[in-house]
Amino acid sequence: MGANIYRNKKPALVFLFPAFLFMAVLLYYPFFKNILNSFMHLKQLGAAATKFNTPWYANYEEMLHDPHVWTSVKNTILMMLVTLVGQVGIAIVLALMVDNISRGKQFFRTVFFFPIVISATALGLMFNLIFLYDKGMVNQLLQALGKQKLTDWKAEGIALVTMMAPVMWQYVGFYFVILVTGLNNISDELYEAARIDGATTLQRVRYLSIPLLHNVICTCSILAVTGALKVFDLPWVMFPKGMPLKTTFLTGTYMYYQTMETKNVDYGAALAVLIVVLGVVLAKVVNAVFKEKDY
Amino acid sequence: MMKKRMMAAMLTGAMVLSMTACGNSGNTARTTGADNGGLTPAASTGSVELVVTTTFAGEDTNAQNYKDAVREWESKTGNSIVDTSANADETFKARVTTDFETGSEPDVLFFFNGADSNSFIEAGKVVPIDEIRAEYPDYAANMNDDLIPASLVDGKRYAVPANGIWEAMFVNMEVLEAAGVAKPGADYTMDQFKADCEKIKEAGYAPIVAALGNIPHYWWEFAIFNNQSPETHLEIPENAGDEIGQTWVAGMNDIKELYELGYFPENTLSATDDETFAMFTEGKAAFLLDGSWKVGGIVGACQSDPNDPATLDLEKLDKFDVTYVPGQGDRKATDLIGGLTSGYFITRKAWDDPAKKAAAVDFVMYMTSDELVPKFAQHGASALKNAPEVDPAQFNILQVKAMDMMAGATSLTGVVQDIFSGDCRVSTFDGMPEIVTGRVAAEDAVAEGLELYHNQ
Repeated sequence: MGANIYRNKKPALVFLFPAFLFMAVLLYYPFFKNILNSFMHLKQLGAAATKFNTPWYANYEEMLHDPHVWTSVKNTILMMLVTLVGQVGIAIVLALMVDNISRGKQFFRTVFFFPIVISATALGLMFNLIFLYDKGMVNQLLQALGKQKLTDWKAEGIALVTMMAPVMWQYVGFYFVILVTGLNNISDELYEAARIDGATTLQRVRYLSIPLLHNVICTCSILAVTGALKVFDLPWVMFPKGMPLKTTFLTGTYMYYQTMETKNVDYGAALAVLIVVLGVVLAKVVNAVFKEKDY
Repeated sequence: MMKKRMMAAMLTGAMVLSMTACGNSGNTARTTGADNGGLTPAASTGSVELVVTTTFAGEDTNAQNYKDAVREWESKTGNSIVDTSANADETFKARVTTDFETGSEPDVLFFFNGADSNSFIEAGKVVPIDEIRAEYPDYAANMNDDLIPASLVDGKRYAVPANGIWEAMFVNMEVLEAAGVAKPGADYTMDQFKADCEKIKEAGYAPIVAALGNIPHYWWEFAIFNNQSPETHLEIPENAGDEIGQTWVAGMNDIKELYELGYFPENTLSATDDETFAMFTEGKAAFLLDGSWKVGGIVGACQSDPNDPATLDLEKLDKFDVTYVPGQGDRKATDLIGGLTSGYFITRKAWDDPAKKAAAVDFVMYMTSDELVPKFAQHGASALKNAPEVDPAQFNILQVKAMDMMAGATSLTGVVQDIFSGDCRVSTFDGMPEIVTGRVAAEDAVAEGLELYHNQ
């Protein structure tokens, strides 16, 4: 026995097997089955596919001609940009400001983080009331300020803004907490030295905080971009079926719409494959752009 | 197709007679028939848990009746109900269909008996009434079999109906009065309707409430009906170019015209049905096309506490009325859409479960008993052989108005969208905003739906 127990890897494999089995059954099997289904004729959930589409790549061909696919991809990419600028950007500003106050840091942390713990569905319903056409909070405020005509915040021209604002607002606190933690890890001695050298607050932020937060910002950016690909519940609650005029579809909501609402299950499977491909490609791009640095 | 039309014609005749009788119940001699609500011995002693899903939820007129009936059945039998009822919208239908496909169907369901039930009937997942009667001869024995709609799949009867439905036009009389418009009558035409809409619009109200991007169903049905006659309404066109297909296209274009005239609310493409309905009940719009179940929604909106009937504001309720959808061509305003479109199904899963079988049968017999059906049917129709006499005093003012309206109906035609069901409807239902804004031609949308229908 003796030192041999450290060379024997079999016990580790035994412990890894349940997790592997779990992943294989609940992730990899459905994943590969979904790829197969995207080539099959499947018009009912739960029903077994009996034949291939004619031609077998028909769904992918249809995707090229489906204007809603392009709308959803365009909106998803827009959502990524909004999350990058709106979520991570605002979170950086808030984190830097909170880091520079001496009292109430914990209060702001809690306040900004709070939306994260609320279900996205509940938030969707809440924002539905806020942006309600008749008697919604925003329209009531505008009326109180003298605006005569009601604004339809879900109308075609403005719907995307109405959809993305709550999504952005919800996750600012998440990145804020990560960034504040990153700021806390920066040694006070560095700030002290900068102060002695005569650096102003802005200079300390520009030349100390932001460069030393680089890796944390990269992590936040990667999380924000990949997270934007998965946004579903809040947009679906506020804009079901891509309302209005199917202009608010994201890749996730369009896939759900095709699968659950129109029962075009095989096309939904093909859209799911598109989401995976888009996710992998964008993750690679983001990783390349936001490369972490060694200090 | 001929079979469907004959069935529809039979139903129409019988239902109109039944409804007329209901509206004049005080003058019609009726005897209370055998009560099927008695408990079967096997079910009365159990503590069985049944999963039941129905459309008696939300604003449905019978939501409270259903809750009361379930509570009473539970206390009588000691059994319990896990209720998964929800509003009867497309999401609900999709959920039920998916539940069947994934093997998680309920034990009993009150569901549509048209094409929406085709998939689970084809899969043999519900039990025909005759098969149940072979073991329980009293099952649905109080129903007139001729009025129980047969499945479009195999012609067998599966669903025991409780209450019939009708679709008509609700009006907010306060808005009409403010706009100087009289209540539409039995000879109301589409031209008169447009003239009235113009007056209402000029008075600063929305003439028609409808969320075209969410629930265009009622306008879809009547707009097509207005280009047809009761005899042809249940025919599905072969393509958009044939005679019937052209009536569908004309119907879609009629809705487009109303949209272009600005008769729908400004947010009709982005609003939900709840939002536009609120405009109607709050006196901001005049006309609402909807079904008999909406009577309950309007009554609820007139209560300070929607769950407490004692808080009903009768004066407010009196401001609402219900009348005929304007007619056009061969369709008279008094030719209505409706029928016994839903019923109680017992699933094969419950039937094959010895612990649940008797309880499921007993539950359906209880819910479709001579005592309960009239409560649910109210101003609608039923398939009872011997419906007990109805006392109009038990109904509220809107229900009485509905009875008066139904008494003047000249025909009751089935719902064509119950036959034209599933993803074939997507191009004209979900696609309605594109049609009315002219981004998709009505002809193309109809053609796309029909192609899917015929390829199913």
